[in-house]
Amino acid sequence: MRMRSLLAALMLSAACAIPTLAADGPATGAPPGLNLSAPGVAWMGFVAPKEPNYAIARTFNDYSNPPSGLGPVSDGPAHPYANNEVAREMRTAPTYRVADLDNDSGKNLMPWVREALQKQNELALRERNGETREARCWETGVPAFHLNPGAMRIVQTPKEVVLFLVGRTRHIWLNVPHSRNPKPSWYGESVGHYEGDTLVVDTIGFNDKTFVDSYRTPHTDKLHVVERFRLIDGGNTLEVAFTVDDPGAFYKPWSGTRNRHKVVNPNNRLIAEPDCAEANDDYFNIGLEPVPTAAKPEF
Amino acid sequence: MKFAGITAFALTAGIFASLSAHAAGAAPDISGTYWATTYSPKVQVMDGGEPPLNEAGRAAYQKNQAGLKDGSVIDKARRVCTPDGLPRVLATPYPFEIFQTPADQVTFLYEMNHQTRTVLMDKPLPTLESLITEPLYNGHSVAHWDGDTLVVQTIGFNDRTFLDATGLPHTDEMIVTERIKKTGDQLEDIATIHDPQFYTRDWQARFVYRQRNDVRLEDYACNDTHRDLSGIAGVRR
Repeated sequence: MRMRSLLAALMLSAACAIPTLAADGPATGAPPGLNLSAPGVAWMGFVAPKEPNYAIARTFNDYSNPPSGLGPVSDGPAHPYANNEVAREMRTAPTYRVADLDNDSGKNLMPWVREALQKQNELALRERNGETREARCWETGVPAFHLNPGAMRIVQTPKEVVLFLVGRTRHIWLNVPHSRNPKPSWYGESVGHYEGDTLVVDTIGFNDKTFVDSYRTPHTDKLHVVERFRLIDGGNTLEVAFTVDDPGAFYKPWSGTRNRHKVVNPNNRLIAEPDCAEANDDYFNIGLEPVPTAAKPEF
Repeated sequence: MKFAGITAFALTAGIFASLSAHAAGAAPDISGTYWATTYSPKVQVMDGGEPPLNEAGRAAYQKNQAGLKDGSVIDKARRVCTPDGLPRVLATPYPFEIFQTPADQVTFLYEMNHQTRTVLMDKPLPTLESLITEPLYNGHSVAHWDGDTLVVQTIGFNDRTFLDATGLPHTDEMIVTERIKKTGDQLEDIATIHDPQFYTRDWQARFVYRQRNDVRLEDYACNDTHRDLSGIAGVRR
């Protein structure tokens, strides 16, 4: 008797709770049009087309140009770049990146930046040090964070948005101002807010140890990046449009975009572990920079 | 008969309790940022004494200890910052953050080397065989709520990590069960190590953290100058 009433009470409490099943669980703070973190959703930087397609293959780990205005540093006619995906799809040999310093984006570089790229171009043409910083396990900074073609997973809470991308992590603090003097860091201090269905992120407080792209374009600690995250293509594409300003490196701000494609696999939620440095030595002695290594255990 | 009836009742009650807790969005809230106040390079066995190594385990431990001393074994987690693995990551003197969104997943993000653990709610523990081609440093985790305690089970580790900074060994067949409970602003994680190839019995280690939602996780890269840990007893830099 007693058992039965307890069971009835339990069933009643379960029944009462049923209407709330429709709720979305814990608060995310996200507008309905920018839910980026449903179960099993990942945002791929690259999805191979069914048929070989040069234009798509080029987006493997590169920015796209903005709809108008000054774009990112790119390759030029003298040394067209073939990434591994282009090489695979078009059956050509892959190359290392050689920056075009004579186009508008090249002319936008201050002399010291230009010089650094000239040196890197020379190395790349000799097939030395051609890997990206990220491939050598260094933290990428912003906007280079977006270049990885792999799966980005996103956690949204009312307080922050966290981006997880193949072993790297960024925090975007919502609805707060910048600190007065943010401690210089790899990903800087990102503050964000939603404007309708767009997440607007403003980042300052960078260190000067990263490159803003895969051509190894350096920057100063005055780097300032604004990113706008929104869904396009019926919610199937996450567009990240960004503007890069650095009065110590570029004459004028420049912009770019990076699209990520939605994939859903409820059975796969795994966030990649930061295991880049495992078995990543310069085995073929091609002048690769060392992976970040501690001189001694830090504690 | 009586036994079966009670079991059936317990199961039913358990399912309803679990359902109602989830349906009402009433899964205990352990989300937030936490930070230990002490650090020990050597894992502290909960009931005192030494980890119950068997003969093979002792041999592996001696080999690790000697190798760490003479340089033939490298602590990659500290040299090139690969992930710590369990339970070493639980001993971290750095803050970490727990997310409970989306609702059927708990994510642990550690400041140290931004290690992440993805924990799937109310899924069966995968078999060792199913994970043999994709072992992880921090393993594959599933969890369920046992009242106000999050019970996390982790399997499918690689064998490249130590259980602690002294080189305590494990095999890739280890299973770790954690019971995580928040009381006030304190989070307790009791980890049970099951690794019969190296240990004579299951044993436990207890880790305690304080909630620190005033702390923001920072970037972490190998060989950086990292956050001040002078407030964490036992850290020697």
